[in-house]
This record gives sequence, C-alpha cells and structure tokens, in this order.
Amino acid sequence: MSSPAIRTLLDAIREASGELLFEIEAVLPVIRPHGEAVTLEWINACRALFDFDHEAGRVFARGSREAEKVSEVVLPWTRQALAIMRWRHTLPAIDGFVKNLPRAFGSLGHAGEDRWAAIGLTWCARSVDCGCAYFATPVLEMSGRGGGIAAIEQLNTPAEELYDSRKLQLGTFLPGAIRVRNLLGTQAVLPWAMRGADIMQSGRTRGEAYFRLESEESLALLLENMQGYKLADRNRLLGILLEVWFGEGMELKESTWSPEKGRPFMEMDGASLYFPAVMGNREEAILSVLHAAGHMRHGTFDRAAMKQMFADAKVEFPESDAVSWAPIFTRFGDDAMRFQLIFDMCEDLRVESRLQKHIPNYFQRLIAAARATLARHPETAPYYELAVATAEDALRAARGANSDPVRDKRFAPLYESSATLADAHRIAGEIFAENTLPRVTDAEAFTAAFLPGRGPNTSRVAHPQDNPEENQQSQPGAEQENQPDEQGEDESDSPTESESGEQQDGGEKQETAGYGESSGAAKRGENRPDGQQTGRGPADKGIPYPEWDYRESRYKKNWSWVQEKRLGESNSTETIRLMKQYSNALKRLKKAIQSQKPTRMSPKVKQMDGDEIDLNAVVEYVAEKISGRSPSPAIYRRREMRQREISVILLADMSTSIMQHLPEGGGRLVDRIRAGVLLFAEGMEEVGDNYAIAGFCSKYRDNVSYYNIKDFDEVYNDDVRSQIGGMSGRLATRMGAAIRHATKHFERVESRRRLLLLLSDGRPEDYDDGGDRRYLHEDTRMAVKEAVAKGVHPFCITVDTMANQYLPQIFGAGHYLVLDHINSLPNKLPEIYLRLRR
Amino acid sequence: MKTATARQRGVEHDIVQIPQAGEVAPYYEPQGNEVAVFEAAYKRRLPVMLKGPTGCGKTRFLEHMAFQLHRPLVTVSCHEDLTSSDLVGRFLLEGAETVWQDGPLTRAVKAGAICYLDEIVEARTDSTVVIHSLTDHRRKLTIEKKGQEIDAHEDFMLVISYNPGYQTVLKDLKPSTKQRFIGINFDFPNEEIERKILLSEVPGVSNEHAQQLVAAGRKARLLKDHGLEEATSTRALVYAASMIGAGLDPVAACQVAMVNPITDDPELAEALMEIINAHFAA
Repeated sequence: MSSPAIRTLLDAIREASGELLFEIEAVLPVIRPHGEAVTLEWINACRALFDFDHEAGRVFARGSREAEKVSEVVLPWTRQALAIMRWRHTLPAIDGFVKNLPRAFGSLGHAGEDRWAAIGLTWCARSVDCGCAYFATPVLEMSGRGGGIAAIEQLNTPAEELYDSRKLQLGTFLPGAIRVRNLLGTQAVLPWAMRGADIMQSGRTRGEAYFRLESEESLALLLENMQGYKLADRNRLLGILLEVWFGEGMELKESTWSPEKGRPFMEMDGASLYFPAVMGNREEAILSVLHAAGHMRHGTFDRAAMKQMFADAKVEFPESDAVSWAPIFTRFGDDAMRFQLIFDMCEDLRVESRLQKHIPNYFQRLIAAARATLARHPETAPYYELAVATAEDALRAARGANSDPVRDKRFAPLYESSATLADAHRIAGEIFAENTLPRVTDAEAFTAAFLPGRGPNTSRVAHPQDNPEENQQSQPGAEQENQPDEQGEDESDSPTESESGEQQDGGEKQETAGYGESSGAAKRGENRPDGQQTGRGPADKGIPYPEWDYRESRYKKNWSWVQEKRLGESNSTETIRLMKQYSNALKRLKKAIQSQKPTRMSPKVKQMDGDEIDLNAVVEYVAEKISGRSPSPAIYRRREMRQREISVILLADMSTSIMQHLPEGGGRLVDRIRAGVLLFAEGMEEVGDNYAIAGFCSKYRDNVSYYNIKDFDEVYNDDVRSQIGGMSGRLATRMGAAIRHATKHFERVESRRRLLLLLSDGRPEDYDDGGDRRYLHEDTRMAVKEAVAKGVHPFCITVDTMANQYLPQIFGAGHYLVLDHINSLPNKLPEIYLRLRR
Repeated sequence: MKTATARQRGVEHDIVQIPQAGEVAPYYEPQGNEVAVFEAAYKRRLPVMLKGPTGCGKTRFLEHMAFQLHRPLVTVSCHEDLTSSDLVGRFLLEGAETVWQDGPLTRAVKAGAICYLDEIVEARTDSTVVIHSLTDHRRKLTIEKKGQEIDAHEDFMLVISYNPGYQTVLKDLKPSTKQRFIGINFDFPNEEIERKILLSEVPGVSNEHAQQLVAAGRKARLLKDHGLEEATSTRALVYAASMIGAGLDPVAACQVAMVNPITDDPELAEALMEIINAHFAA
C-alpha cells in the first residue's frame, strides 16, 4: 500500500543494496503511520546514511524500530542522525547514537534527548574522536542514577573546559569521570581531571592509566576524597584496639579494595585481618574490626568445626593449608546468595554473642549503628530487619535472666558459648529450608543486606586454625596464660612463615641490588672490595667477635667479622630538605632543651669558683666556721655545659627493610630515620653530651659493616649532616655483632654512663641464619648482656609493631620502646634520649 | 573518725608521729603475702625495698604497715638535688651560734621510726651511699660533719621504693645498694581486690560502677606498650570513682581521671575512650 513516491525510492534502494532494503522494509510498518512525508524523509535519511557509510545506513534502519517505539516520533532523531553525517568517519558516533536513542528518550525525555544530541554534535564539531566517544558512552551511565540531562551537562562542563584548555580527549576523560562522579559526586570530577591532565602532559601512558583509574596516584586521589572513615590512616588505633580486646597476635593488613568495588567490608582468612582503605564511618569501621577479629578468635576458622561443617554439608574437606568455602555455597546453585546471607547471619550472631562477653557494649553499638543506617535495599530489607531483630535477641540473651526472653527461638542455640561454626551452618540450613526469606540475585542487594560492621565472612580462602578454641579464648587480661599458646601458634606456623621469610629475603636481595644501583656508585665501589675475594689480609676482614650459639650453649670464637668503614654516600640536598621540613620541630626541640637546661643540667654545687653563689654552701660554710671547724671555701655554683658524664652511640639498623614505603604513604621509612637521626644530632649539639652516630648492616657472618657516621670526638659539621642525608638501606641485620662492636667503641670513652641507643625496624636476621630466627635472637640477647656487663646500657627503639614479641626477651622489659607511629620517629627520637638521660 | 593520715588538718606537726589510739588504720587491701613479708622483715629489722609502678599502692601499704606496727613513719621524697645533708642534717646559724639540725633520716634513726625514701633512684648516688651503713649488720648512721656515729634505735627500719620503668634505665640503683634490701614486688591488684579498693576508698560508689571501672582499667593497662609512660593506675581508678561519686557522668569522669592526665597522644586517647565507652555505654 505504499505511495508511488515511496515505491520509487525503495526501488532505487533495491538497485543499490538489497540488504538495506530488507532492513528498511522490516521497519517500514512502524514508520508509515507517521504519514507519507515523514516516511519519505526517513527513507531518504536511510539512503543518505547508507551512501555516507553502508554500515551507518543499516544500523540506522535497524535501530529505528526501537527509537520510534520509545519516542513515538521519527523526524527529530532522523535529522539528528543526518547531522552527525556532516563529519567524516563518524560511523561509531552514528552507531552509538542509534543504539542510545531508546534509552535517551526513555530516561531524558524529548527535551533532554534533544540536548543530549546537541552536546554530541558540538563534540563532533570539536573532534570526531570525541564525538564518537560521546555517543558510544551509554546514556544511562552518563546520567548516573536518574540524574537526567542535568547530570550529563555537569559532566560535560569540565570536559569542555579541559578540552579547550588542555586538549584532553573526551574518550580519555569520560569513562573515568563517570566513575569518579558516581563515587565522589560531581564536584570531584574537575579537580580529578585537572590533575590527570597534568599527569598526561608528563607521560601519555601514565596519564591514560590515571584516567582509567588504574594508577596508584588516581586511586590515592580517589581514596583521599572519599567520604567516610579512612582506616589506612587509623591503622595504629585499630591495632591498639585489637590488642586491647584480643591480645597480641592479630595481624592487620590493608586489602585491595578500591572504591568501585562496591561496599567496603573487612575481611579475614584465619591468619590475618584485611581492612579496606575507607569505610562509611568510624562506628562501622570499629565494629568491623572487632567483628572480624571476633571471627578469628572465636572459632570461625577452627579446623575441627570447619571439618564438621563440611561433613554436614556432605562436601569433602580439603586437607590443605588453604580451604575454599565455595563448595558450601555452590551446592545451592542459583540460590547460593540466599543461603550465604542466612549462614553469615547465624555465624555472626554466634561470634558476636561471644564478643559481647568481653566487649560489653558490642551489641548495643551494632544495633545503634544498624538503626542509624536508614537506606535499605528493597530486595534484602527483610534480611537486614531480621539481622537487627536477632541482634536484639542476642543482647537479651547476653543480659541473662533480668532481661526479656529471646523472641526468635530459631537462633537461640547460637547465643550459647558452646555453639560452633557447624551449629551455625546447621541452623542456617534449617532457616534456609523454611523458605521465608526472599531470593537474592543482585550483588548490590546482597552487600546491602549486612549490618554495619558485618560482612561476608567467607570472602577469602580460609586458613584453618588448629588451636583448641578454649585456649585462644583466654582473655588478654590473663596474658601469661596466653603466652604459651601463642608460642604454640608460632611453632605450628613456622614452616609457612619461614618459607615466606625466605621469599622475603630473596626479594630483599634483589631489592638491594636495585637500591644499590639507584643510590649511586659510591657504595657499590665500596662494597666490592669486601665481597667474596680471596687473599685478603686480616685488616680487610675486620675485627672478629664471638657469636653465641644457643643450640650448643657456647660461643663460637671469631665467628662474626665486623668491618668499620665510612659511609660512602652523602646527600646534602636531602639533608637540606629534611632540615627545612623539620625546621619547626627542630626549633621546638632546641627551645625545649634550652628551657630545661637550668634544672636538667643540674648546676654543679659547692664549687671552688663559679658564676653564682651557692647559698646552702655559704650557710654551711659560715656555720661550720663558727662552730670551729675549717670548711673548704667551695661556695659557688657553676653551670657546666659540657658535663661529660654521659656518652651515647646512636646505632641505626641500615638493612634493606628500611627502604620500604610507608603503608600510610608519604615516603619511605628511611626518610623518617634520616630525619630522626638528624634531629637527634642537632639536639645533641644543643645538649652537649658526648655522642657518636653509626649504622650497620650485614651479609653473612664474615661481612658485617659498621658505618661510622660521626665518631665521639668528631665535630658535627656539614659533612656529617650530608652523610646522614645519604643513609640508605642495604642487606640484613646481624644485630649482635654490631652491638659488640659498638660496645667496644665505648672503651675509648671516659664517662660514667654509657648509652647504646639502637634504632631498628625489625628482628635480627641474616642471610645465613638458615631460617632459625632464634639463633640471632639468642646471640643478640647475649650481646646485650655482654654490653651491660661492660657498663653500657643498650636501649632499643623500634618501629616494628610486632616487636613486642621478641624485644622483651632480647633487651629485657623496660629497655626498649615500640613506636607504633613511624611518622613520630623524627620528633620522638631526641625526646626519648632526653627522657632516658634524665 | 580520725585516720592516721588525717589528724589535725592545717596544723604543723613534727615529722615523727606515733599513731595514736583511736585512729583508724589507713585502708590497705593485701594482694599477696606482702604483709607477712613486711612483718617478718620488721621483726628482723631488715631494710625493705618496694618495687612497682606508680599508683599501685606502695606508699599506702607502708602507711598501713607503719600503723599496724605502731611505728612513726618518716617519708622523704627523693629528687635529683637531694644531698646527703638533706638526709642527715646540717649546721644552721642562730645568732652568732651554730646549731646542728638533724635531717629526717637522723630523726628516724634516733626515734626508732620507719624511714621511707620514696623514689630513691631520683636521688644522687652520693646521697644513697649514706644509707649503706644503716642497711647492713652495723645499723649505724655516720654524721661526718659532727664526727659522730649513731647506733640506730632498735625499732628503726629503712624502706625505699622505686619504680622500674624505662625512664630510669640510666638511673638504676647500684647493685651494692640493691642487695642490702628485702624486695617486695607490687603490681596493680587483681580485679576482685581492685574493686574492693574502689568500694572502700570511695564510699558511695556503686558496685556496678566499681566493676566497670576495674574492667576498663585492666584493658587500659594493655596500652602500656603503645607509648603510655605510666599505665592507668589504681589511684587513677580511685580518682575516677571519686568523680563519679561527686556526681559526674561516668564516661566524663573516666576521661578526666584516666585519659587526659596520662596521654597527649590523640590516638591513644581515642583508644582509651573506646575502652571506657565500651564499659560504660552498655
């Protein structure tokens, strides 16, 4: 029933391409009702597009059906499509445009769609690539969740600005910008992109990685701007809380979570806790940490219970170190998420009931936080509500007799302290079978079902724990009791640990080589002569020291060889930078020392001469004179600046590990050590005590290097300063030999008190200790003992937060300090010294 | 009710005071065998050294024992400028005459009191040497300036205290001094005893509050390795209980008594507050 005009046109198309005609005829029935004029124009457009690019014409014709259906018009979008054709090579733009049309009309409305297309055309006018990128981006993504055309305009403004000022391509900008907008809001897009444009100018690949949100710097920027509680910055607090509530032995690591991965959860695997960089708020973060540690401590990873659960589920339990939870859930097929939510809820209730016993407000906090969160995902709201209700029940159960009885009896057995993981699994199975909770399919809905602080318990492969749970449960209050089984844990872990230790060592060796290269030829040149060379004289070999072998309970004579040398590198720019960075701290430090001086540098009383009169001495003198004695006329007091009654060596661990980057960012550990040593030296100049600065590292027993950075009678000058700036890490930590050598140093010094201040970041280790940590521990302990016997007081300052496990044995209680805040090292180091010398 | 520590207030009185009839013994709750050890040491008049952290009850223990043994207690708080004449005595001018004035140690030696040298490590080494002859079989005090010697009163006893924290690494007692003493180790009391102490020290504090305070205190002590110079002491708990007794909200009371005084580190303070909130916000 086509009009002649249409028929002529179609005939002409048949000539050109049968395929196109086929596409057109398929859609024609929906176009024709709009009238002959419209139909003609549409067919002409198809033809024109086809002539422009065969594929474009076909795509347009094919997409018209949907476009018409949603928009109920034809001409507006037909004309828009034709407009795109004005530029060459715009097939991708046309393709994207057509595919987006239904959604554009559907979500933006007619006016919105018009604006959307107009923006796209402007981009085409700027650059075809940009235009293609624009139209290829799904409209719904661009507008965000129901943001409409306004959201697209908001994205477009910075894009235009950056294109005009920095020639930033839209295709580079848009995908990342959408994610940034979704995560952080519109206002974050421009600063993020500006930064990216800068990076782009310095290197294209780096810039592109930034815009894909794949580079460290863009992730860091994202995390920085994320709303919420930043766990990475509060590492120390979390660590302290864990120790308070769970005692030692909880390892806290940062997970690989990044913002676009959805809701952040704390994770655990039976060996460590993994925290996301950011969580919603402080309450959620702290609840999460306590919750996850609760799982670790209260038997979620207990091997026996896991075995039982796997048996109940009729799944084979793998006798390996790492056990996947997956088989527990996969047997439910499509309904796995429903079971997992129920199972997590049961297991959470069980663990939290145990937690409540020693953290008395846990449930109160959990419930308050859960109620404060108002957003519910419609699909899983019943889970959330049930979780709140059961938490309230568990609290009632915890309060015992004087509280209301538990309402939901199904969960009641979990509140008993004898319940295990297998019980949680069994009860979850029963509740699952009741089929009262809705099916869950959507991942977002799944994550929204968890109360704040809770999360999927089985997100990581589990490392079953072998310790009987009762022992683990013993509370930090009873530390002594705890100790043995922690050691037990150590032992059972030791195979894996020593393995990883070796791996680390290997890594360290490699790193060393890398750093060696980067920190200049000076050191390499220096290292070479004491490498494995033959025919060296004893002078080259250094000074021999005995080493203690605990396995045979005897000293091995001339075992470790210490070579004393100067530090080859110096770095005055670094020194100047550090001096500038810490100038305020330095000023404060000097002021503090000066203000302390009169009292701290206790003036010498009863002197034969001096600048003030000692009133007590005068009275005494007069009194004794009158009483007929002949006292000595020592009636003055004098302030001696240089009272050489204390001398100190600051001995810094210069092993490879100090080159590591700080977990919280902001540089490497070595930067803090340099700054600390520098401030220490400056402070010492002010105090006037006799001091020396040295560093040490080692590679095998016959190659312990002792770097004299400043000797006792050496003047502290720019040369020493720049050597401090050039301190860097290399090789391993044979602490005992270094302590012995430092002790020997003291022999040349006349002073009443001798302090050996050891600055370390980890346990004593060397490449040839064969993975037997105890060997060098014991040797260091003996070295400390020898030092004490020679009148030297060793005191260790460490930044290794795990140091509480070994330092007490080596240095003795009260003779070490763990700084759990690395950034505080520069300021703390001189402070600690001043406190020690008091 | 008069207690030995609270007799006539605002009135000067001599440092040597024998407990009077009608006074009530200073409250002390034994933690172990320290009372028996002290009594035995007193029987043989051996010098005693009290070791333990600040605020765990060393001084109170001694007050209590002195009262029980019916001996006067002479306390000298040692500081770094304390010289031997501050302990032994000195000549003073009086008109054109000079008068010898006994120091607290000499007074105690003569009167047969218990002399308590608090925080002895703070004193200069030369002043600690004067006690040597008093602490062995000689039981003699040499007054060098007068060229005299005093044989100690038969009831005289010397007690020193010190706090083995890391602050004193360089200021340890000389081994020759240390080995002259009977050593009694003190630590913070266990939960049950600490609760009792709170209840008796602060009349009116509820059993529940005492329990919560003690539990929070125990957790707070775990932070010692994280940069607290001194752990939360029993004294701090008593203060907190007193503040609660005076009507302050428990969390606020704990903050002012157990957090603010002992740390300036915001994160430690935050961790301490977490502990307190956990115990009181229940």
